[in-house]
Amino acid sequence: MGFLDNTGDIILDVVLTDHGRKELSKGDGSFKITKFAFGDEEIDYSLFDSTHASGSSYYDLSILQTPILEAFTDNAASMKTKLVTYENLELLFLPILELNELKSSVQRHSEGAFIVAVDRYTEDDDESSTTNGIGLDSGGKEVPGVIFGESLDRGGAIMIDQGLDTNQISTKQSIDPDLRETEYTIQIDNRFGSIVDAKGNQLELSYIDDDDIAYYVVSEEEATAVRSISNLTKANESPIAGPRGSRLAFKIKSSMDLNTSTYLFTTLGGESTLTNRTPAGDTTLLYHIDSMVRITGMNSGYSLDIPVRFVKFKS
Amino acid sequence: MAESGAFKTLNDKDVVSTRTLLHEAIPITGTIVSGTYADGNIKNPPHGMYQSVYDYPYLSSSANHIFDITVGIGTQSGLTVASQPDKKKNIYNQMAQLLVGYDHTGSIQRFDEDGNIIGGGTKLDSVFVIPFSRLLVKDEIKKGTFQLELGVVSAHDQAGAVFAKRIQITDYSGSDGYFVNSPVGEYGVLYATASAGATVLALNKRYPVGLLYYQAGIAVISGSVFNDSVDGGILHTGIGSTCLLTDSGESGFNAVTASTTQAIATAIRNRIYNVQFNNTTELNSTIYFCRANHQEFNYSTNPTYTNASKIRVKTNSSDEPISYITTIGLYNEQNELMATAKLSEPLKKTPSTEFTIRCRLDY
Repeated sequence: MGFLDNTGDIILDVVLTDHGRKELSKGDGSFKITKFAFGDEEIDYSLFDSTHASGSSYYDLSILQTPILEAFTDNAASMKTKLVTYENLELLFLPILELNELKSSVQRHSEGAFIVAVDRYTEDDDESSTTNGIGLDSGGKEVPGVIFGESLDRGGAIMIDQGLDTNQISTKQSIDPDLRETEYTIQIDNRFGSIVDAKGNQLELSYIDDDDIAYYVVSEEEATAVRSISNLTKANESPIAGPRGSRLAFKIKSSMDLNTSTYLFTTLGGESTLTNRTPAGDTTLLYHIDSMVRITGMNSGYSLDIPVRFVKFKS
Repeated sequence: MAESGAFKTLNDKDVVSTRTLLHEAIPITGTIVSGTYADGNIKNPPHGMYQSVYDYPYLSSSANHIFDITVGIGTQSGLTVASQPDKKKNIYNQMAQLLVGYDHTGSIQRFDEDGNIIGGGTKLDSVFVIPFSRLLVKDEIKKGTFQLELGVVSAHDQAGAVFAKRIQITDYSGSDGYFVNSPVGEYGVLYATASAGATVLALNKRYPVGLLYYQAGIAVISGSVFNDSVDGGILHTGIGSTCLLTDSGESGFNAVTASTTQAIATAIRNRIYNVQFNNTTELNSTIYFCRANHQEFNYSTNPTYTNASKIRVKTNSSDEPISYITTIGLYNEQNELMATAKLSEPLKKTPSTEFTIRCRLDY
């Protein structure tokens, strides 16, 4: 007679995140845990081998042997990927978030990241043909991938589409309402910038954590940065190959610190060059800071990291 | 019906608060106290009112304060104190007002030998006091675990020969015979018995020789432990009162009259053979029952979970979805991550399995 399996009940020690400690220290009741989620950030599901010759017991052997790290206390570094509940257990496809770069106004810069010019001088200098700015090309057109961090009525934007990225389901099919994302969180380092919608209107800040990471929650209801794209069915309208859910579009407004000072650039960044507006294709020496903007779907928990480089004219 | 999405709300039945008492054994060997570091671990403050003992030379950042020793002589002790009389009286009064409190007239009450303050009886007016560090005591000394062993060989010696005859002081009745009439919480009576050598005590019995304040972490011990019965103490006249100082003769604790507090503290330290007790830490925990029902958390948003949106762990739509749990995140109402917990290995979750993971947050 064997022992009973007692693995169904597990007790774990919890560690507070740095943000949790900050909330607890306020003593105003703001520290209240009301919900939980499961994460699986160490798991590489591509190790799941459904063709393993030894049978189904071996399909996930490599996954189950994955070593697990101790808990991170940085709230921004934990729980990046979550498990999710869908009532339908027969789903074969799940929605993803994908950068929409179909138009030049929402493309990344040729450097591989979105470039945020933090002041007008870096954007466009004095708008003469001999400008040092990097926001316009020699023909006076906006350079793809350059976000104008001060003059928000011009420059590029970041656009993310959500949906089922498969050509096995027609774009004309409606996405399951459970799979449709209507609310997003945008995380950005608050020292560098803030989030505005595609028209330059400031979005409401949700909170700033202890590491100076600002969180913006935007939803389709507010109709500012999120909208439905279920009606867009043509291939050139979205990088999502199958049924489409929603679209998030926003810009980054540079912070006052980056706009007026080089301190953070010299402390946290480096120097690099970008082509400026001169017909000869000269380059401008810039200060730069590399950072990341993280988009997370509030319903699905799916997240996407977008590389962003903040630049400021040096010489 | 299962909540769609990545978060699941905890209801009232999923959160429970518990209180646990943790105990640690604290052994302090006499050699640390009296010689291992050639007194480099002993700090004598310039005001001379007490002596501090560390577990390592105190100039090192690795050193931890473990206890202090001081001497208190009450005005009714009958001793004529020539050295630091005011300081010794002040220490007695300070400790007595803190640990015993005041009577109905506002006068400071004296330490009572058996804890029966109202009933009168023998008072302890000539004492040495050992306040233990909060680092060791934590929330309180566990009742019934305190042991202090003192060498009582009469001759003066600071190389260990005094330990041939020893008494052991314990709060043996502490677990069920403690008192609650102190302003600083519970306390028990300390009793002395012979622990090594022959004819150590005047009578073969337990002598009440002090009081141990559990929450305060302070032991108040009568100087009578170093005196023979002729000098009003507990030791057998055959071994006589101890010679605490080089030049004090066999005057036992009465040497306090002509010696400084720090000199007496050094003498007592060199007669400490062993100190040990268990401490208690009150641990308040909140346990969050994170329940993953069979129809919940079977999919993942991990970027590797899909390939061109197709779920990797399924070949056909009728296959069971599979996910693997490695982390539990606890969130507030605004979805801000407050705390995390990790599993030691990935936990496979399918629609055929259910889990209740208990996440304990200690305060």
